[in-house]
Amino acid sequence: MKVEFWGQDFEVNMWVGCIGGFLIAIMSSMFGFGGGPFMVPLMTVALGLPMYIVVGSSLLAIFFNTGMATIRHMQFGNFDLLLFLIMFPAALLGGYLGPQIAKRLSPLVVKRVACVGLILLGLKLLDLY
Amino acid sequence: MKVKFSMVPLLALVMMVLPITQQAQAQEGASAPTITLDKTTLDNGGEITISGQAPAGSQVYIELFSADKTVKANRFDSKKDPKTGVIPYKFYLTHELPAAYKIYVPKDMEPELEKARAVGKDWKYSEVLKKIGADVAYSAPAKIKIDSYQATIMASIIGSRGTLLDAMDEKENKRESMRLIKGRFRSVNNLLAANVETTPDGAYTAKIKLRTGLAPGKYNVITTAVTERIKDGDKEIVKKVKSEPAAFENTMTFPTVYLDTAGTSLNLVWPFFIALAVTVFGALMGAGGGFILNPLLVMFFPLPHTVVAGTVMPTVLFSQGSGIYNYSKIKFINWRLGIGIGSAMLLGGFIGPKLTELITLSQFKFAFGWILLVLAGLMYWQTTAGYLSKNKKEQAILKEFKKRAEEAAASKAN
Repeated sequence: MKVEFWGQDFEVNMWVGCIGGFLIAIMSSMFGFGGGPFMVPLMTVALGLPMYIVVGSSLLAIFFNTGMATIRHMQFGNFDLLLFLIMFPAALLGGYLGPQIAKRLSPLVVKRVACVGLILLGLKLLDLY
Repeated sequence: MKVKFSMVPLLALVMMVLPITQQAQAQEGASAPTITLDKTTLDNGGEITISGQAPAGSQVYIELFSADKTVKANRFDSKKDPKTGVIPYKFYLTHELPAAYKIYVPKDMEPELEKARAVGKDWKYSEVLKKIGADVAYSAPAKIKIDSYQATIMASIIGSRGTLLDAMDEKENKRESMRLIKGRFRSVNNLLAANVETTPDGAYTAKIKLRTGLAPGKYNVITTAVTERIKDGDKEIVKKVKSEPAAFENTMTFPTVYLDTAGTSLNLVWPFFIALAVTVFGALMGAGGGFILNPLLVMFFPLPHTVVAGTVMPTVLFSQGSGIYNYSKIKFINWRLGIGIGSAMLLGGFIGPKLTELITLSQFKFAFGWILLVLAGLMYWQTTAGYLSKNKKEQAILKEFKKRAEEAAASKAN
């Protein structure tokens, strides 16, 4: 499939994109996260698209998944309204504060700290310490 | 051979008659235990003393359960049957599990509980109950309505629970309710405690501690006194007497709230701050909050993973929506590409939530652990020199585009 973005043309292999997106969607809706950090590498590395086209478009693709998964989780009775009402304003506030703080920090340092944090949390979940 | 066969029904008849006559005797012989509580209300858990008089020399078990709050629980049975070698693929679901449940057993059974604790998270609730004789006190959850479904791979793919099977018989229902109870309350300490003290004349006391975070509302307490256990071959005949239920109220004051679906009460300040910290951090590292929020929630609170996944999902939905709106304003979304891949993801999002129900909490944690390790790898990759130099060029283009987009928007406004 050909896509056009700001006057540039890109050739996209939709088979790879759709199968990869499908698998990421199953995983992310099953475990309840967005899946952006997996979609971005899929679209940049596997589809060979540049970053600037991926950021917005991957978000749109993920939105479909999150919307559907929300409806399905509600159907199965997994949605707790009160917990949602507690976390939702916090998420809004965090979404506002986050970018403000991000301006003052080096993204490289943040990513390395995140990397260590994720490894620790992952090992904890695997019951290794 | 012929003789043996004809003996079987006769034996069965004798066995059926025996307990009836003995039970009748037991009811005559021993009077029902009395039960008194020293308090009528607790504030989000606390200590309460249960005392009363049971027949002399009996073993005393106390069953405690939330009387007016129930929770949903489900279990997917995919373990191979050791006898037949068939994998059942059955899905069990109930909405009637008591939101709190515990059995208090005589003090001298502590060593057995210690053994069960040593087994770890795979301890067997029904086996322990039987070993310490507490299965006689297990009554409140035994008759809850449990739906069982025959799941198939095809049904799971189209997101169905499978075909509804006939209701289970009483015994099967009780056994399955124990598995659901175990899956819901997880640890030995949540379900059992050895702290009932009895004097030789049958007076008993139990100082019980209701932990915080349990459901508010009415709790029932029932004492079961076992006066005699008679071994009869494989079968054990138990003579028991039960007390009338005594009740107390567990109250909750703001900011501690009860989460109806999750069946847990917690101080709402904590999830608020965790969600805030995680979303701030998520914005910094360029990943949504769900990756960190979900594991933290299941680790720190006794929340079922299904509820965590099902509640975090809509939370991130809105931040994604606002992100799309912002990008679309500066024309930074390729709609064809996004909708194309999005339609494949729509299908995935239809299947995923079904699968959440099929896995246990420990499987959820295990898989999530690996996902986070992969994510850490991706994060590290984003800090390597090769990625950074490529990214730098693209960031420059991105800035240029954004500038142009903003200028275009500004000129339009003028």
